[in-house]
Amino acid sequence: MVYLLSLVLLAVGLYCVLVKRNLIKIVLGIIIMEYAVNLIFIMFGYRTDGRAPILSESQEITNMVDPLPQAVVLTAIVIGLATTALMVAIAVRLYDRYGTFDITKIRRLRG
Amino acid sequence: MTETGKGMTLIVKTVTRITVGFILVYGIYIVLHGHLSPGGGFAGGLIIALSFIHLMLAFGKDVALKRVSESVADLFESIGALLFLCIAVIGFAAGYFLLNFFADKGAPFALFSAGTIPLYNIAISLKVGAGLFAVFVALVLLKTRSKGTE
Repeated sequence: MVYLLSLVLLAVGLYCVLVKRNLIKIVLGIIIMEYAVNLIFIMFGYRTDGRAPILSESQEITNMVDPLPQAVVLTAIVIGLATTALMVAIAVRLYDRYGTFDITKIRRLRG
Repeated sequence: MTETGKGMTLIVKTVTRITVGFILVYGIYIVLHGHLSPGGGFAGGLIIALSFIHLMLAFGKDVALKRVSESVADLFESIGALLFLCIAVIGFAAGYFLLNFFADKGAPFALFSAGTIPLYNIAISLKVGAGLFAVFVALVLLKTRSKGTE
């Protein structure tokens, strides 16, 4: 049931990518979809009443959440940072060449 | 930091002048405690880079680039990657790749107990911090350079 939140977030991002014409809004949609996937990974690793898998002094941990999806998501965040920087750089270059972010006006590819 | 008239308003500049040092020190703390508490090279390097980006947003690009120019950021990024590789290769001297060669067993919750792991964290923080700052500088310079040619 709680996974529905992630599905809704993914749908919002997909709507943003498919319907919007502004290039910056498309980039934001891709970022939102990425976070929806990160969220569902973290939820898969959750265990009821579990706590963060961090060892600390004078405390015994009996019930902890799964740390593996957290490591995967940390890597995914790093890769997301790099792809976001690439997308923004491409958007900036397109803006200087065409003077607009509207994807229906960016169509002088031939020649 | 001199008043150049570029950048944001006086309020933002004053707040930045107070907080930017604390942000930098917090980033260094996260890096050095990476083997004991959550955080580590990536998160700490990100916070270090954000302190310089904060400086650039408040005071304009010239002030930040005078402290860390784009060639210096490039140099630190390369040093970070090479430092990581060197420490990993030194492991061969005692046994195998990525060997943690001067920690016998390690003591939990002691700061100087983890052998080479803090050194790896420092290398990663150099790479990530300089790399993120270089990405930001590249986007800013791309924008101003293209504005200059038109």
